[in-house]
Amino acid sequence: MIKPRIAIFDFACCEGCQLQIVNMEEELLSLLEHVQPVEWREAMSDQSDDYDIAIVEGSITREEDANRLREIRKRAKTLIALGACATLGGVNKLKNLFDLEEVKTAVYAESASLPILETATVQALHEVVDVDYRIEGCPIDAAELTYVIKCLLIGRAPAPPNYPVCVECKLAENVCRYDYDEICLGPITRAGCRARCPSNAFWCFGCRGPVDDPNVHAATQVMEQYGKTVEDLKVKLTLFGTQ
Amino acid sequence: MIARSQLASPEAVRAEPDIYLPSGATVTDVKRLTPWEKYFKFKMDDERDLHYMPGQFMKVSLPGVGECPISITSSPTRNSGDRLEMVVRAVGSMTNALHALRPGDRVGLRGPFGTSFPVTGKMRHKDLLIICGGLGHVPLKSVIEYVLDERHHYGQITILIGNRSPNNRLFIEQILEWKQRDDITCMETVDVADPNWGGNVGPITTLLPRVRLFSPDTVCIICGPPVMYKYVLRGLESLKLDKSNVYMSLERRMRCGVGKCGHCQINNVYGCQQGPVFTYKDILEMGEAI
Amino acid sequence: MGIKLVARARLDAWVDSLVQQQTVYGAQAKGDRFAFDRLERASALRLDYDVTILPPKKYFQPQREVIMRFNRKTVEFESVIDEEPFVLFGVHPYDMVAISQMDKVFTMNQFDKHYMARRANATIVVSSVETASSSVFAACMNNATMRGKSGHDVLITKLPSGHYVVDPRTEKGDNLCEGLAEAPEANAEALDAREKVLNQNEKSLRKYELRVLPEDLPALLDRSRSHPVWQEKAELCYSCGSCNFVCPTCYCFDVEDEMGWDMETGHRVRKWDGCMLVDFAAVAGGHNFRSKRSARYSHRYYRKGKYSWDTYGEISCVGCGRCITACTANIANPVEIFNTLAEAPQ
Repeated sequence: MIKPRIAIFDFACCEGCQLQIVNMEEELLSLLEHVQPVEWREAMSDQSDDYDIAIVEGSITREEDANRLREIRKRAKTLIALGACATLGGVNKLKNLFDLEEVKTAVYAESASLPILETATVQALHEVVDVDYRIEGCPIDAAELTYVIKCLLIGRAPAPPNYPVCVECKLAENVCRYDYDEICLGPITRAGCRARCPSNAFWCFGCRGPVDDPNVHAATQVMEQYGKTVEDLKVKLTLFGTQ
Repeated sequence: MIARSQLASPEAVRAEPDIYLPSGATVTDVKRLTPWEKYFKFKMDDERDLHYMPGQFMKVSLPGVGECPISITSSPTRNSGDRLEMVVRAVGSMTNALHALRPGDRVGLRGPFGTSFPVTGKMRHKDLLIICGGLGHVPLKSVIEYVLDERHHYGQITILIGNRSPNNRLFIEQILEWKQRDDITCMETVDVADPNWGGNVGPITTLLPRVRLFSPDTVCIICGPPVMYKYVLRGLESLKLDKSNVYMSLERRMRCGVGKCGHCQINNVYGCQQGPVFTYKDILEMGEAI
Repeated sequence: MGIKLVARARLDAWVDSLVQQQTVYGAQAKGDRFAFDRLERASALRLDYDVTILPPKKYFQPQREVIMRFNRKTVEFESVIDEEPFVLFGVHPYDMVAISQMDKVFTMNQFDKHYMARRANATIVVSSVETASSSVFAACMNNATMRGKSGHDVLITKLPSGHYVVDPRTEKGDNLCEGLAEAPEANAEALDAREKVLNQNEKSLRKYELRVLPEDLPALLDRSRSHPVWQEKAELCYSCGSCNFVCPTCYCFDVEDEMGWDMETGHRVRKWDGCMLVDFAAVAGGHNFRSKRSARYSHRYYRKGKYSWDTYGEISCVGCGRCITACTANIANPVEIFNTLAEAPQ
């Protein structure tokens, strides 16, 4: 069997999701028996325009990035968005809450007018091109990446969970974060992380974005029940650009 | 003193078969029926007779991809050990993977599961009205072949077949044969015609006014997509059939096939065990069904 | 072996010897709450727990279990059956009732070998409730004590004196209690004290008062299909399945294949699923037979109060109260629902 050729690209992000791939260590070697990486800036020096699967990390913040992404889309049979910046826009989307010029000046001060520092409204990948599969999370869970790759290798469509983090949190037998008087985004956030944060004594930050049909009405009512406000909830949702 | 436990011993449990374990089978024939549907014939590795009846389904396994329920389309009257036939519409990973199978490829099979149409019971000596909508033709082909092979046991037979378009028609040659027989009536319709289609156009209910029933005791058999039942049942009202003589097969998410996993439940009924074949009377009592 | 009266120190010594010899799961602290977990020493066992986050069903039907191995090339399947013996220590009576119901579910009509292999290899020690949880209503469901019930191998009950009455009920229970042979037999006074504890539990394990008899629930539900409470409550439902997963009588599951890295061998796993999750009744091709929140919400209560009665003659709400606590939106109190239905004019 011919190994599918994989290329990994990054846009505006911290590259932490790619780091999760590097961190797979031994499992990465198993993965490499079945796929052939042809471009991966974080781990190798080769470059290639010939690939079957493109794994793309990061969000789109400049027009030239959008064009580069369109090129990748044209070449790849399958395009996978990797991590919250790619799937949601992620933390980068905080920028969209402010005036663009204001943001530029705040970050780059007097250099803000340099053409190289041109910037635009932040977009998730699917806002620019068609995305075939999404691997959510900040950072991703490597187990989900291997699940998706294995599915593609045997010709099965990966099925990301369409239920909230509460499911995996219950399976892990965690104490509910609401018992600790915290606002947890678990009830409306898509599962798949194995309830990583609540299992480590934090509320869910919502880094995987909402389930398909989140009960927003319930969320607002629940805030009242727990003596919180809708504003408290919105602030939390803003972090990953899912408001 | 409280009664001693009635639980099975570990040894007794070990001796039980595993109800989830598929048996091996080989694909012996594949035909494309439409752009969406393919026909498959299977042979069990152990060549055992599955003793299935029209209306039942199998769970088909492809290791690594999963397991899905597929209706049996062959009739046990034509079963010669290698004659398990199914039709698969490609709608998801499992069914797409099934479409990639070629003769000689292997699958896992469990079953047959579920209830069947009463070909040896209530249908005997009665007039039959058989209504096939779309993929509903697949399990009803088993019924039709059965009653045609045992023709003398049944009265008048009327078959209605409806499809979305001429492109969706299954087993076209067989339909033509049915239409030519003078001991049965077979009528066809499509929702949307193409230039080559010379037959009836419109939903399957448009055929009902042309149905001539000779007996008020006629048994009606229906299988089609969920949306079809409501309209067909309304259309049948004028024929004044006994609701316990109207049988239909209900689609549900038959996951385990053995009445455990809960997905196919229709109120208090397990679709995979007490269904998929129900009478209209059962269904009215169940609620939630259609 | 007879019924023993056991001091705490002797009980601890017995448990310590058990954990040396075999796999023992017992109720232990988890954060501010409790959970069943592998027991390493008697001092970690918390028989004074109120309720565990998950019920002990996880030892018979684990959250995720491999049910078979397969080979993709040869298309061969092989059952995987877990037959490792274990002791489950400190199960509350309402959870034991639930386990007995699951025994029926997994053996009726079709025999589920995977569940039953674990069940047949388990020895269950039931502990009379020492601390009532804030939402328990087991007494309303007649499940506060083991009176008139079976399925357990040993019943232990703490007396106000601090001693434990240890009562083996089966041969397996007798064997487990061998280490207590030296302990004195429970005298009439101790047995009398135990009856008082059980009487007390039947009074106190009702933090909510169900105003219907459990056996009247099927008829009540039967006439309540169009009650507005289903819609009202469902509007606040997150469809998160928390009520399903913490329920000792929810057993629905899904099955999925997982591939190994050789891309040739793999295994088929069974995982917990819940009827409150949006895609539970969706079929390939997209049709969802229970797409409305209210349909999913009411299905669960009908399942507990009517369908299991119709199918195997049991009300499958045992009164543990876990769903009440687990529901973030506070809409999952069965007592509140059933009482609301009962108030409606007939």
